[in-house]
Amino acid sequence: MKSQIADELECVKAKYPAERAALLPALYLAQRKYGWLSAEAMDEVSRELRVPKATVRGVATFYAMYRHKQVGRNVIQLCTNVSCMILGAERLVDIIREKYGVEPGGTSADGRFSLVIMECIGACGTAPAMLVNTDFHESLTQENIVTILEGYR
Amino acid sequence: MIKVTINGREVQLDKQVTILEAARRAGIKIPTLCHFEGLEMYGGCRLCLVEVEKMPRLQTSCTLMVTDGMVITTESEQIAAARRGMLEFILTNHPLDCPFCDKAGECELQDLVYLYGGTEGRFTEPKAKHPESNVDPILARNIERCISCTRCVRMCDGVVGASAISMINRGRHTVMEPFSGGKFDCEYCGNCLTVCPVGSILSRLYKETYRPWQVERTVRTVCGHCGVGCSYDLQVRDEAIKRVIPRIGEGLNRGLLCARGRFGYEFVGAKDRLKKPLVRRDGNLVETTWDEALGFIAAKLSEVIKTHGGEAVAGIASVRCTNEDNYVFQKFMRGVVGTNNIDSAARMGFSGAQAYLESLRGQGVSANVIAGLAKSDVIFVAGGDPTMVTPILGLEIRGAAKKGAKIISLDPAPGLEFFNPHKIVPSLFAEGAVLESLLCRAVSARGMTGELPHLEEAIRAAVSAECAGVAAQSGVPDAEIEKASATISGSQSPAFVIGPDIVQRADGNRNLFLLAALSYVTGGRIFLLSGKANEQGAVDMGCLPDTLPGGRPLAIDGFRKRHEDACGMSVPAREGLSLMEMFPAMADGRIKALYVIGENPAFNLPGGNSIKSALEKLDLLVVQDIFLTETAKMADIVLPALSWAEKDGTFTNLERRIQRVRRGVNREGREDWRILCDLAGRMGAAMEYASSEAVMSEIARVSPVHRDLHYSDIEAGAMQWPYHGEPLRGEASTVSLVTASARPTVGSGRFALLVDRPLFQSGTLTRRSKALLKLIPKATVKMNPLDAASLGISGGIVRVSSDAGSVELEAVIDSSVQMGAVKISNHFEGAGVFGLMTKPPVDPVTKAPAFEGCLVAVEPLKGDAKS
Repeated sequence: MKSQIADELECVKAKYPAERAALLPALYLAQRKYGWLSAEAMDEVSRELRVPKATVRGVATFYAMYRHKQVGRNVIQLCTNVSCMILGAERLVDIIREKYGVEPGGTSADGRFSLVIMECIGACGTAPAMLVNTDFHESLTQENIVTILEGYR
Repeated sequence: MIKVTINGREVQLDKQVTILEAARRAGIKIPTLCHFEGLEMYGGCRLCLVEVEKMPRLQTSCTLMVTDGMVITTESEQIAAARRGMLEFILTNHPLDCPFCDKAGECELQDLVYLYGGTEGRFTEPKAKHPESNVDPILARNIERCISCTRCVRMCDGVVGASAISMINRGRHTVMEPFSGGKFDCEYCGNCLTVCPVGSILSRLYKETYRPWQVERTVRTVCGHCGVGCSYDLQVRDEAIKRVIPRIGEGLNRGLLCARGRFGYEFVGAKDRLKKPLVRRDGNLVETTWDEALGFIAAKLSEVIKTHGGEAVAGIASVRCTNEDNYVFQKFMRGVVGTNNIDSAARMGFSGAQAYLESLRGQGVSANVIAGLAKSDVIFVAGGDPTMVTPILGLEIRGAAKKGAKIISLDPAPGLEFFNPHKIVPSLFAEGAVLESLLCRAVSARGMTGELPHLEEAIRAAVSAECAGVAAQSGVPDAEIEKASATISGSQSPAFVIGPDIVQRADGNRNLFLLAALSYVTGGRIFLLSGKANEQGAVDMGCLPDTLPGGRPLAIDGFRKRHEDACGMSVPAREGLSLMEMFPAMADGRIKALYVIGENPAFNLPGGNSIKSALEKLDLLVVQDIFLTETAKMADIVLPALSWAEKDGTFTNLERRIQRVRRGVNREGREDWRILCDLAGRMGAAMEYASSEAVMSEIARVSPVHRDLHYSDIEAGAMQWPYHGEPLRGEASTVSLVTASARPTVGSGRFALLVDRPLFQSGTLTRRSKALLKLIPKATVKMNPLDAASLGISGGIVRVSSDAGSVELEAVIDSSVQMGAVKISNHFEGAGVFGLMTKPPVDPVTKAPAFEGCLVAVEPLKGDAKS
């Protein structure tokens, strides 16, 4: 019964002196595979790294960028911090909510999108900006955001 | 020498310690919340702040080490203000629900707030709310009261090594939770409970039923479960045990306990405890008086002795009774009845194994201090998971591993999984081949010293010249064994931990020989696991068919004569029958009467119906017990005895440390030794003792090992082997070594039936402890995932059938079970593993029953098995 992330994890483990040291990247790997860190995902990391599972959970819940809820197929991380807010990011939140039926922090009924409101993502010069999964999109407008999101099924 | 000044007083220290420790040594108390003796440093609560001259801010005394010339102030207006401030912060969320919090009265936070103030908070925000979690059967979790001191997590992770709980989330959202977020699903040692300074972790066994100041008696005693012998306090109210609490840092367990010890005491107050003697009339057991019951036994026993001789009587002593009980029992059997047919359930592996190891390496070879495991750099574990059989000894192994010791485990030991063990998993029952290969390599790597010629001769005869290939039949690659061998050979102080599973084999003696030889060649110490509180005591008290108290063989006339003189009673010269030999003798009529104290052979011995039918043939079966066990139900007379919590005496643990058992609860029933003395009087022999202490005085006179040992010595600490006495010198000149004939082969739907030894159950006592019963409520059959898959089993009820019968049990898939084997525990009525075993083979040397010969078929039951 080989674990789903085992192969990739071997490469990650090789970079560290001890298995335990690979915990953060291993969690990230598990999150990429499963979309979020379910109990099963954390258990798998625990078994692969031989780190007790409660310790794994303690670490995973400490960091903000690990997800502990089921998310949609695509995760929108939209910035609403000062620059983005001045340039209309809050209106963009409304558009996403209306068009796809997803609340900030929630997931659309069809599981297509999850929306996460971000603090500054470091793109103030080209605000408003967002990340969809790992893709970066800047200079968003009420028009182009729909076009961009339509590209994600 | 480091000199520091604390509160104007000069303090001298021989080594660097924290300021907190330095102050403690000088008798100055600094308040703390997150600090706890033995846990990793943390410095989180900021209550131990002190002023250190030339340092800018207040410093945490629990993390700062003293340096020479330091000037420290531990109490000042500034410090008091800072402490008050910290308490005010803690109280922004900690509810002031002391009137109904269980911890009130022994709460560290409560005491500190009382001392420094801080209740009149300036924060207007409402306190955080968390409903109390009561989903766990044993532990309640009240997170509102949690002050995030992380003591519980540091205990669980750093000391126990279970790592079942952690602080999750961050900042003010931080809470302590087990992995599941609900149930703890842990080892339930409850050591988190010991360290929690507030009422955040609570035991549901006594929650809301008492106040700490309502405890009527606190009695220091020793745990009655396994052979480690942890010390703790029984707290008693209304003649019932309210709770068990350890004393921090004290005893060989240093304040740590396990699930059985901490939560397994409820059987003492069980409703079905025996209260009155029972006698069989018209086929039924009915209540009677002590006078009538003892009169009946005396008459009947005398009749058997008169007609058939003393050797027609056999006695089974108890591995749960005190040394005093067992001593008096063997004296009664030998001196009054006139038989050496005495044995105990220690015969199931422990006593025979020890006697054999001693014949190879000398008396006391297994009397090694458990704490010494921490000094071992290599620990070889064979024949059982020590974290389950003897949990606190298991913690010692984990602790050694944390300090860098290498663990080698022969066969799976799931409790050591996170401690980087080198796991060697041979095919079923093939451990001997691995051991032989290891021994062969050790001999060529180290040579032999010539210290024990008889053993060396046997070793030379046992190992082949060519080491490689020996292990081929075990299925373990040579490289694996070479690696383990290199680890062992490179060790300065290896320890060999021997569990019951490797002894209970048809050639258990060969496994033991190889382990003894390996430990001899590598200079290792032996730890023999004992699952019951006084197995060692039953052995040392002479509850053996061939040995007198103090380990003197009765076959040697000189020893027997000296013993007779010392105790004033004669001892028959002929060796008696060992435990597993008694039942065939009952079946064929050689034994007519059996006297059992604190044991349940009808259930606890392998052999299923053959044991019961042997018991049925007896003319007289007398049982002294605290419950109406399966054996007691068959008895002619049942006498209500007392549990360990209700009597005074001593236990001898697996390291041969003698410790005091003290009466905590008063209850109906009599001590086993008192019953026997009364009976001896009625049979015309004088056996009178004023107290258990008087029995010990006689033991101290009679046993050459326990010479001059009195309760005062034991209490003062002179309780470790060899006490004041003399171990027997000189080993056997010949080494008996018997190799088993062909083993039964598993496969084609037949599985080897093995004994499961879980952490939370150990049988008769624990299945009457409500809390432990919630953790393992019923018997299950454990099997390897691959075996289960091949039968289409993924849980649900299965039928397990052997030649002796069949049971229907829930299947549990467990990857720690070896391929080809299934495991069932022997704890639940009607579903014990021993009931499925037809007459098991017996190791000819250790006389221990072997559990490898029983093959069973497993089939899923339609409708229950999930696909």
